[in-house]
Amino acid sequence: MDKVELLAPAGDLERLKYACIYGADAVYIGGPMLGLRANAINFSFEDIKQGVLFAHSLNKKVYVTVNIVIHNKEIKEVLNYLKKLEECNIDAIIASDPFIVKTALEETNLEVHLSTQASTINYEACLFWKNLGVTRIVLGREVNYKDIKMIKEKVDIEIECFIHGAMCASVSGRCAMSNSITNRDANRGGCSQICRWDFDLYNEKEEKIEAEKPFTFCSKDLSMLKYIPDMIDLGITSFKIEGRMRSIYYIATIVNIYRKAIDEYLSGSYIYNEEYEKILRNCANRDAVPQFFNEIKDESCSYYNGREEISNQDFLGIIIDYNTKTKEATIEQRNYFKKTDQVEIFGPNHDIINYVMSEIKDENNEIIEVVRHPRQIVKIKIEQNVEKYDLIRIKKVDK
Amino acid sequence: MTQLIIIPEKKHINKIIDHCDCILIGLKDFAIGFDDYFDLTEIEELIKSNKEIFVSLNKNIHNNEIDDLKKILIKLNKLNIKGIFYYDISIVNIRKELNLNIDLVWSQEHLTTNYATINFWQSFDVKYTYLSPDITKDEIIEIRKNTTSKLIVPIFGYLPMFVSERNIVKNYLNNFKLKDESKIFSLQKQNKKYFITDENHGTTVYANNILNGYNEYIEFKKNNIEYVTLNQFYIDVDIFIEILHIYKSNEINEEQKINELLNNNVSKHFLHTETIYKVKNNG
Repeated sequence: MDKVELLAPAGDLERLKYACIYGADAVYIGGPMLGLRANAINFSFEDIKQGVLFAHSLNKKVYVTVNIVIHNKEIKEVLNYLKKLEECNIDAIIASDPFIVKTALEETNLEVHLSTQASTINYEACLFWKNLGVTRIVLGREVNYKDIKMIKEKVDIEIECFIHGAMCASVSGRCAMSNSITNRDANRGGCSQICRWDFDLYNEKEEKIEAEKPFTFCSKDLSMLKYIPDMIDLGITSFKIEGRMRSIYYIATIVNIYRKAIDEYLSGSYIYNEEYEKILRNCANRDAVPQFFNEIKDESCSYYNGREEISNQDFLGIIIDYNTKTKEATIEQRNYFKKTDQVEIFGPNHDIINYVMSEIKDENNEIIEVVRHPRQIVKIKIEQNVEKYDLIRIKKVDK
Repeated sequence: MTQLIIIPEKKHINKIIDHCDCILIGLKDFAIGFDDYFDLTEIEELIKSNKEIFVSLNKNIHNNEIDDLKKILIKLNKLNIKGIFYYDISIVNIRKELNLNIDLVWSQEHLTTNYATINFWQSFDVKYTYLSPDITKDEIIEIRKNTTSKLIVPIFGYLPMFVSERNIVKNYLNNFKLKDESKIFSLQKQNKKYFITDENHGTTVYANNILNGYNEYIEFKKNNIEYVTLNQFYIDVDIFIEILHIYKSNEINEEQKINELLNNNVSKHFLHTETIYKVKNNG
């Protein structure tokens, strides 16, 4: 069986490190220009170099998104930008504009992956891009099982598919609601997510359609955990997690779960794990379904009944050090926690550790009851070995 | 410069066709965003009108449609049509594989924004480009100066701003166990109204007002733009024909007259305003 790549998003260097440490085989990031998250912090060239060094030291790969739709004024900047990315020793760019694709292939040694923005959903389109020199295609999100199977049968090219995260309501590249309504260009990284707004719906007689909830385009998220074995058997090369704007907690959690699922299937020990699904659900705080993969495109895929996105306070802190002799863990706080809280400590190299917060000390070794200050440094005693980069979350107790 | 008239409904075709030289229609099973779709027999009938006919195959195409797509392209290749508007890249590949010589129009509505990419497609023998409505007049003129592709510019009508494969309205109605047989719906928010259609292949949403680029049309003509599109979608057919004649007249100072015919529900869209995408400077 071919190697399967777990591909994670990273909005900055810290998230890149967590993605790699928690089991991603590769990360994708936005550079200083021409990426579709124009309003994220994104990586400078120096950050990219550092990220690549870190990832390569762990035998992981770094891809840079260069996937906006360009206007005339950017044409002359493209080659220079691609050359600078090449100097950063990245492993590939992810592009959709054919001019960028062609320039990279003809004028640099960069490997080119075709972005999902190109909405490639059939084998003839895949053949076109393969003949051009693209080595991997991120398929459009509208593909189903049969589509992927046929593409794999007819075209010898690496295929990348999304497995988790937010979904556009539209076909990628075919939405300009943000442009028209807020002037912010969705295809150039400025999407203002109009699809999540509520609207009143009227019929052709101009009568308002009264329902329990107003109309929305809002799609539920994608979750392919249940279909990981099918996707591996299909021969998909890369399993992609959406979310370059997401937190380290989100990235670590999602990567950790999919890493386990993929490895369990590849080692022959896979059983669908409902606990994994619960962890994914709690982390994202949004409903998730397989979307187009199983050819179900009905009302179950959208948020017509409203949604409640409670700010996720589950993530309590990061282990930044552990002394194996004193059994003392140093924690950087990320959300309020207190003595007696039941927590889970998870990391890339061990099973979940259940723990009850007992003695908590502050930086002056004073015993405290609550940890309420952002990024406060505290220490706890814990017998089981934990590691730097482990994360602590509140334990969810089924009622 | 030729006015390319987009005719979404079959019932209006006889009325409109005498007033124009060139039309765009949607092909059954392979187009989206039209009220009605034409099959090959109907297209052959239209060809007898001696008008320039472009056919739109603007939907995203799945594997299970490829065999039919090949058959239809072979048949279209034998007809005397001006060209095919395509969205899905499979059409470019199939044309090459089957050695067809039918002319193509790169028509990926929000992606046709710069001359370098237009020239890329031209190197694959794509003769025409239907430009994005998200670029400015100055950008269009700059494109003109930097490509020999035949350019088609949207100049009048409601502009599509969203396409989905999901049946978003039907699903919403089903979710609340509601029934409504309307062919077109509208969404309303902050006193603005957006038409939305939900058909077999998915959902299309349109901008809230009508693009009227009459003054720019005069300028585009001077700059050797080959075609402009005027879309009749959801505009009274008699008013549309009147507007068509105003456009044909080429007289200056007629823009306001058109606006009044449309109750001033008009816009310049992005002809003079660049879209923005970076709302803050991240350094």
